[in-house]
Amino acid sequence: MSLSLTVETFALANGLRVFVHTDRSIPIVAVNLWYHVGSKDERPGRTGFAHLFEHLMFEGSAHVPAGAFDELLEAAGAVNNGSTTPDRTNYWMVVPTGALELALWLESDRMGWLLPATTQEKLDTQRDVVKNECRQSYENRPYGLAWETLLAALYPPEHPYHWPTIGYMADLDTAGLDDVRVFFRTYYAPNNATLALAGDVDVETARPLVERYFGAIPRGPAVPRPTPPPARLAEERRVVLEDSVQLPRLYMAWHSPAFFAPGDAELDAASAILAGHRSSRLYRELVMERQVAQDVDAFQNSGFLGSSFVVVVTARPGVGLTELERAVREALASMAAAIEPRELERARNHLETSLVDELQSVAGRADRFNLYAYFTGDPGYAQKDLERLRRLTPESVRDAVRTYLVDAPAAVLSVVPAGRRDLAAEAGTGR
Amino acid sequence: MSGIDRTRVPEPGEVVAFEFPAVQRRGLDNGLALLTARHGQFPLVTAVLVLDAGAAGEPADKAGLAHLTANALEAGTRSRSGEELAWALERLGVEFTAEASWDAVSLAITVPRQRLEPALELFAEIVRQPAFPEDEIARLRDEQLASILQRQKEPRALANDMAARFIFDPDVPYARPLIGLQTSVAGLTRDDVDAYYRANFQPAGGTLIMVGDIDPDAAAALAERHFGDWAAAPRRAVDFHVRRRVEKTTIFVVDRPDAVQSEIRIGDVGVPRHHEDYFPLLVMNCILGGAFTSRLNLSLRERHGFTYGARSGFAFRRQPGPFIIQVAVATDVTAPAVREALREVNALREHGATPDEVSAARDYLAGILPLELQTTEQLAARLADLAVFSLPDDYFQHYPARIAAVDADDVRRVANEHLRPDRLAIVVVGDAQRVAPELEALGLGPVEVHTIT
Repeated sequence: MSLSLTVETFALANGLRVFVHTDRSIPIVAVNLWYHVGSKDERPGRTGFAHLFEHLMFEGSAHVPAGAFDELLEAAGAVNNGSTTPDRTNYWMVVPTGALELALWLESDRMGWLLPATTQEKLDTQRDVVKNECRQSYENRPYGLAWETLLAALYPPEHPYHWPTIGYMADLDTAGLDDVRVFFRTYYAPNNATLALAGDVDVETARPLVERYFGAIPRGPAVPRPTPPPARLAEERRVVLEDSVQLPRLYMAWHSPAFFAPGDAELDAASAILAGHRSSRLYRELVMERQVAQDVDAFQNSGFLGSSFVVVVTARPGVGLTELERAVREALASMAAAIEPRELERARNHLETSLVDELQSVAGRADRFNLYAYFTGDPGYAQKDLERLRRLTPESVRDAVRTYLVDAPAAVLSVVPAGRRDLAAEAGTGR
Repeated sequence: MSGIDRTRVPEPGEVVAFEFPAVQRRGLDNGLALLTARHGQFPLVTAVLVLDAGAAGEPADKAGLAHLTANALEAGTRSRSGEELAWALERLGVEFTAEASWDAVSLAITVPRQRLEPALELFAEIVRQPAFPEDEIARLRDEQLASILQRQKEPRALANDMAARFIFDPDVPYARPLIGLQTSVAGLTRDDVDAYYRANFQPAGGTLIMVGDIDPDAAAALAERHFGDWAAAPRRAVDFHVRRRVEKTTIFVVDRPDAVQSEIRIGDVGVPRHHEDYFPLLVMNCILGGAFTSRLNLSLRERHGFTYGARSGFAFRRQPGPFIIQVAVATDVTAPAVREALREVNALREHGATPDEVSAARDYLAGILPLELQTTEQLAARLADLAVFSLPDDYFQHYPARIAAVDADDVRRVANEHLRPDRLAIVVVGDAQRVAPELEALGLGPVEVHTIT
């Protein structure tokens, strides 16, 4: 299957890079804007700001009254949202063809003219909304604090991946309007963003419109980037978290190569061979044969400053995590000895299918163009991404498992029901 | 170019008429219908088999059986073990999914066009020749029991389950979770699964949907080859009467001591999918709580900062499903959030909506239809709606016009008819000690405190 999607690119004088992809099968356009800022750009003590700022971007700008952003888009039959990760912040809309100009007006107004409309009251309300988001998505949810606990164990306190993207709630309280202004001027500049348009649009139509709405926004200063030393664990880290859960769950994480670096695709394949599918090794052993696990999952969490490879196993009622950790380590050791060609074929099929699935929608394509541009410099990288998967060999996957997982220390988190620390994984189950 | 007037809002242009893909219908002699539509620019095909085997037809003491039976299909066939089956599917790069809803069981694959033939052959084998190995059924049942245990600790899932329990009379199937109850699932056996399969998984009343890079003749040939000799059985009759549990508004507090948040569900029995007010209700709900700029979200999130989001919706089923307003709020604003939500309901009943709101809601609903038809899976899901609810094949061609016909009078009328503050089940999953007294003080109705063990 070929995934060559035609992408035309141009740049404005202020540094905004624009990607245009035409697909006229449905009269809609995906408008997707990435700012190259995320929680990795924050500092200890001031965490959660990139995400809080994302919320303020929907509250109106100089020419867009409070509330009008969503009202205008919804009344035009469009959907929109945004999201923040450690590496980047994105804003996306999917609009009927006729509303493209409206979309660009709204998107450019908040890139160029946000500050005049940002008030203490808006900041306070969105701070409350974010605190509720934190309660709903993390604090009031079983295993909701596991991810941030795992990352905190894997990365040292000063590393930008140490803290959760939603931030520590105490830090949010310290954020004031001055922080909003500095953050906006530092990161929300056209030279720190890329804009992708995909769907019922062509470059001849897009270019004058983008020039018209974004052209007057001044270029910002050079953007500072965090340059932490490469993260590594000197030795294994073990953490136990008591939580309001029924079933114990084991999390294991290792440092691994950055997004698109050599080894990244190998570990994507390794995750599919290890877990997540009915024929994968841990699923067969722990879920189907021994029936000691409720589910197993593994993934390569690819990032800009480095990645983490993560394995998650949920125990059946009453099963301790020590034996699950032992099984994970044994499975990895056997993968470091040999991978069957049919296992790799299956993993590759799965990864290809996921990629094609994502590229089916114009929204998925637009987001991918921005992702590829950010991480590889080439918005049209999809076909090369596919070729990256096709170049994998059983040997290259095997070697990556040995280098990054078997021969390296892990952060091991046990989440157990309150009062049941006896179910946690105990040290000494290693090689 | 810097001379543009930024205060001028670019008016959205004329909406380009969206042509819903043409739907072709064929039928096999055994009663299985075939719906096909061409779609997309990648060589992919999604096949969905929709069977009239939904959980509404489960015996009351076997709640969760439809879910278990659907899952058990992948446990192996007469000629392949579960593991061999998994390998065969994954070698083709196919994910097989099986899902039981109240009204149907849906089985689906998405596959590159060049692997469609072997994939569909395997699909038919899974659906028509399941082996239901005893030990695999026991394993899947135990997993289902563990999932039920987990739901009790997951506040959102728990609140949804409790809303169903307190909205519907206990005899109504919809009062139970689809996944079943500890008591009902613990007793399920291989024989139960096999009996449910034999009685319900059959071609009559079913529909095979194929969407993507395929033409109707090729689809018909494949359907005939793999499903043509599937013997039909008499169709089951699913008959029950939907009644609400409370006739006067009652507050049910489900205690989670020390919870930092309250999960609130304000619910009532809604209407069936084939109700004459279906389109006015869509528009009315969009104004109340169906979109980001809905009244509930603007009030509870944007004005009060009580929550990350508030929404409302009707679950449309063959029989009347629930209408539910849902919101999660910090514990200390639980009662104010309930009060504000009901204030919005009452305001919509008393004053109706403005013409601008109605027109924005209509445009939103009509506008998002094509946005949700971008993938073969999305279009197949719409065709599955046609199958499950026996809607005409050109239903979606007329959808925008039906939405456009709703006016402000309709909205106000259906708000008054279908939003009834006097007979609500208000369910709050949270710290009872802290929230029950405040909820009592609202004076909306009696407060019952329940404990989940």
